[in-house]
Amino acid sequence: MPAANISALGATRKMLGFSRRRVEFERATVAELLRSLGTVDGRSLYDNLVCEGRLRGDFAIVVNGLSLKSDQLNKPLQGGEEVVTMAILRHLHGG
Amino acid sequence: MAVAQSVPAESNWIPSTCGMCLHGCGIRVQVRDGVALKIEGDPTNPDNLGKLCPKGNAGLSRLYDSTRVLKPMKRTNPRKGPGIDPKWVEISWDEAYGTVARELGKVRADDPRKLLCAIGDFQRILLWGWPAVFGSPNFFTSLGNYCGGSYHPVNGSVDGSFAAINDYDRCNYWIQIGSGDGFSSHLHLSGSAKRMADARMRGMRVVTLDPRMSVAAAKADEWIPTLPGTDRAFVLGMAHVLIHELKQYDREFLRDRTNAPYLVKEDGYLLRDDEGRAMVWDMQLAAPQPWNAAAPADMALEGAYEFAGMRVRTGFQVWADQLRDHTPERMSEICTVSAETIRRIAREFVEAAQIGATVEIEGKTYPFRPAALNYYRGSQSHANGLFDNLTYKMFNMLVGNIDVPGGHLGVPLDHRGFFIHEGEDGVLKPEPHQLHPAPPFKYPPDSTHLMEWFPIGFDAGQLNTETLLEPERFGLNYSPEVMLMYHSNPLWNLPETDKVEKIMARMKFVVAIDIQRTESTEWADVFLPDHTYLESYLLNCLEPPAVTGHSLRQPVVEPVGDTKDAYEILTEIAERLGFRDDWNDLLNVVTGFTANPKYLLDPEKRYGVEELWDRYARSIYGDDKGLDWFKEHGHAVRYRTPEETYMPYGKLRIPFYFEFIKRLGDEMQQKFEQVGMKDWPLDNYQPLPFWKNSQVIEDGKAGYRFYAITFKESLHTFADTVVMPWLSEVSEKDAIHGGILVNPITAENLGIQTGSRIRLTSPAGSIEGQAQVVEGIHPEVFGVSNAITRHFVTNDRQKQRGSHFNRLLTGSMRYTDSATGGLESSARVRVEKI
Ligand code: SF4
Repeated sequence: MPAANISALGATRKMLGFSRRRVEFERATVAELLRSLGTVDGRSLYDNLVCEGRLRGDFAIVVNGLSLKSDQLNKPLQGGEEVVTMAILRHLHGG
Repeated sequence: MAVAQSVPAESNWIPSTCGMCLHGCGIRVQVRDGVALKIEGDPTNPDNLGKLCPKGNAGLSRLYDSTRVLKPMKRTNPRKGPGIDPKWVEISWDEAYGTVARELGKVRADDPRKLLCAIGDFQRILLWGWPAVFGSPNFFTSLGNYCGGSYHPVNGSVDGSFAAINDYDRCNYWIQIGSGDGFSSHLHLSGSAKRMADARMRGMRVVTLDPRMSVAAAKADEWIPTLPGTDRAFVLGMAHVLIHELKQYDREFLRDRTNAPYLVKEDGYLLRDDEGRAMVWDMQLAAPQPWNAAAPADMALEGAYEFAGMRVRTGFQVWADQLRDHTPERMSEICTVSAETIRRIAREFVEAAQIGATVEIEGKTYPFRPAALNYYRGSQSHANGLFDNLTYKMFNMLVGNIDVPGGHLGVPLDHRGFFIHEGEDGVLKPEPHQLHPAPPFKYPPDSTHLMEWFPIGFDAGQLNTETLLEPERFGLNYSPEVMLMYHSNPLWNLPETDKVEKIMARMKFVVAIDIQRTESTEWADVFLPDHTYLESYLLNCLEPPAVTGHSLRQPVVEPVGDTKDAYEILTEIAERLGFRDDWNDLLNVVTGFTANPKYLLDPEKRYGVEELWDRYARSIYGDDKGLDWFKEHGHAVRYRTPEETYMPYGKLRIPFYFEFIKRLGDEMQQKFEQVGMKDWPLDNYQPLPFWKNSQVIEDGKAGYRFYAITFKESLHTFADTVVMPWLSEVSEKDAIHGGILVNPITAENLGIQTGSRIRLTSPAGSIEGQAQVVEGIHPEVFGVSNAITRHFVTNDRQKQRGSHFNRLLTGSMRYTDSATGGLESSARVRVEKI
C-alpha cells in the first residue's frame, strides 16, 4: 500500500496528536489522505482544515516542498510523498 | 563547542558578517589572544567587494563599549518616567528568566493579546515570529514602517520583489529621489558605493532630487531641490510630458509585458468575458477579445471604445487621461521645481532610455533601457506613499525599464524566489505582504495596530499612539499590559513621544532584550543582555541588490560579560512558558524546513543556536555545507545570474493598472459598512496614482509655514549607532550634523545665525536645537540629522542634543496612508528663535 510521511506542525500537530508519522493510504489524493487522518476531536483532519472543498486560508499544506493552493486538494499522491500540514501564524512583524 | 577553542592565541583573521545595519556585508576580523583588534571588508565576498562603510569599520566600539549591559538587571525603583533612574541591580539569569516567565505567563493565561511587542532586529528576522507563538498580534514600533510601509507592498505588487535598485552595471542615466542608494544608505551600502563609483567612472549621469544636499545630491551631476512629499508631483509632471507632449513611451513593453492594454469599464473594473478573462481591444476585429486570444500586434494600447452600450478605455488610456491636467506648470507649483526643468529631465530621461534597443547577455537577447528612476524613504514615506511608489514604478514602466538590463530591478527579500507566482489574467500575482500573510478583516480587531484593516499594508505601529490611548474608538475590547522590547526603542522611533510615554507608563511589566540602555529600556523592569554580532551566529541574506547567497555571522571572540544569544533567550522563555514545541514549529516554517522535512526541528527537543544554524545551512546548501563549512569559508555568496536578475518571472505580465487595489478598497468598504463603521478612511485604494494634497500640505494653511525633515548619512543607521563614540566623534566634526539645518536666505529672514537656539513646532509637538546655517537645503525646509536626535545617552562622548525629530510627527490616520499604513515622515512647522 502506498504511504506518505506526514509532518504536522503547530495547531495541526495538536489536532492529530502526533508530529511525524508514516501513513499508508488506499485512495490517492491529498483530500483522501486528509480524510483518513483522525483528529483528537473525533473528526478527520479534512473536516478541520477544509471548508466548502477548499483549504481554509489559515492552514497550509506542503507536498514535496510545494505549497498547495486552496483548490488543489485533489492533487494525486503516488506514495513516498513528504506532506507537511500547518496552521498559518499571521503576525510576523516588519516593514 | 566553546568559542574560545576556535580562536587561536596568535593573530588570526576570522570571516564573519557585519551586523551594524541590516544588510550584512562580509567582514573579516583580526583577533589576537581572544581580543578583536580590527574589522575589514571580506575581499572574497562579491556583495561588498572588500569594502565597509563607517558603521562597519566602527563595529569594535559596539563590542567593547564600556556602557554595554553585561549582566541581566532588574529595576529596583518602581517609579518610571523620563529621566527617572531605574536603579538597576544585576541579577542572575535564573532570577531574570523566572521573573519574565511569571509576568508574561500571567497575561498568556489571561489573554495573550495583552503582550505588546516592539521588535527591531532586522537581521534576525527568523526570530520575529516569537510573539505570534506566544499568541499576541501586537506590534509597537515604527522602525520598519518608517521607511518601507508603502515601499515594500508596492515592490511586491509590481514584480514580487521586496526592494528595488537601478542596474548599477548598465544604467547610463540615473534619477535618484530621496534615497542614499550608492552613496550613503539603503541597500548594502558598502558594495553599492563601489558599484555606483564604477558606474560614474564609465560615464553614468546622476540627477538627484532631495530637499537637502545629501551625499547623493552633492555627488550628482545635477541636484534638484524639492519640497518634502512633493517628488511625486515632479514625476507625474514628467509622465505628462512623455505621454502628452513628447508622445515617447515604450508601447511594445506596455502592450506585451503589462496589463496596460486591458480594458477598464467606467466603474474602474476590468472588462471580463463570461469566463472571467480580462479583455483587450482587438484593432483588427474592432471588438474586445480575451487578453490571451488577441494577437499582440492587434491589441490597442491607447483609446476609448464603445462596446455593448458601455464605454471602455485601456488601462493606459485611463492614466493618460488622468494625467492630462498634471502639466509641468501645475506640478511645478507643488514641488517648486520649474516646469522647464521638469520638461528637460523628462526629455533627457526618455532619450537615455533608448526605447527599442536590445542587448545580448550570455547568448540571450534582452530589451536594453539604460535609464531608470530609483527612490526610497524620503520620496515615498509620506501619507500618500502608495501613490508615490506607484508613480515612480509607472514612470519607469513608461520607458519599459522594469527588470531589464540598464533599468529598474526588483531585489528579493532573500535567496528564495518565494513571491513569483502567476496571478489573474497572465499577470504576476501581487504579493504586497512578504513578512507575514495578510490577516483577514476583523471587527473588533485583534491587533492594536489594526493590521486586520490593512490588507495591502505593513505593520502601522504608529497607530498605537491612538489606539492604545482610546481603544474604544477602534472597537478594541482589551488593553495590553506587558511589553517585550527586542532591540527596539519605541520612545525614539515612534512619533508623538509624549503619548508613547503615557502608553509605557500603563504597562504592568516591561522586559527588554538589548545590548545597551536606551530611552525605552529605562522603562523596563528586567533587562536581558544580548550578544553583539561579533559574539553570535546567524546565516544572513537580506535584500542583496547584485548577489545571492548567505554569509555567516559567527563569534570572533568569547562573549563579553554574562550575555546570551537572543535565540537562546527567547527559546528559554518559550520553554518556561510551555510553548517551546510551537516555537520550534514556527522556526520550521520561517526557515523553510517545511520544504525539506528531513531538517524539521522536533517539537519535543531543544536546539542550541549552532545546531539551528547548522540545519539551516544544510537545508539550503546540502549536507556538505553545514555550519563548519561556513565557519571556514565565511559565505556562499555569488553574483546573481542574468536569468535571476532580468525578468525572473519570464513571460508573465506586470500590473500597470492596479485593479486589485481598487477591489480590496471596495471590499473593505463593504466590510466596514457591515460592522457599522462608516468613517474609516479608504481613499487611497485607487488603481492609478495622481496628485492629491496630503495633510502636511494642508497644515501649511494653518500657519505651519516651513517643512521639517530628518535624514541620515552613512555614519548612522538606527538608534544605537547614534550613540557609538567613534561614530559620534566623526559626525560631530561635520557641519550637517551640527544642528538644525537652515538655508541662509531663510536664516536671514528669521534673524537666525549658526548657533542660535531655535524651536520648531508642528501640530504634534515641538523640538529645540541649535541652528546650523548651510547652503545645501531648500529655503522652506529645516533639516534634522538623526545624529542629533537621541535624548538619552549613557556615554560621555555622546552629547544629548535634544532635537528628537519624531516629536514633530503625528501617528494618527490623518498622517498615515489609508491603504498601506505608511507613516508620514515629514512635518510642517512654525519656527522661532528662542
Ligand atoms: S552597509 Fe551595513 S552591513 Fe555593510 S558595512 Fe555598513 S553597516 Fe555593515
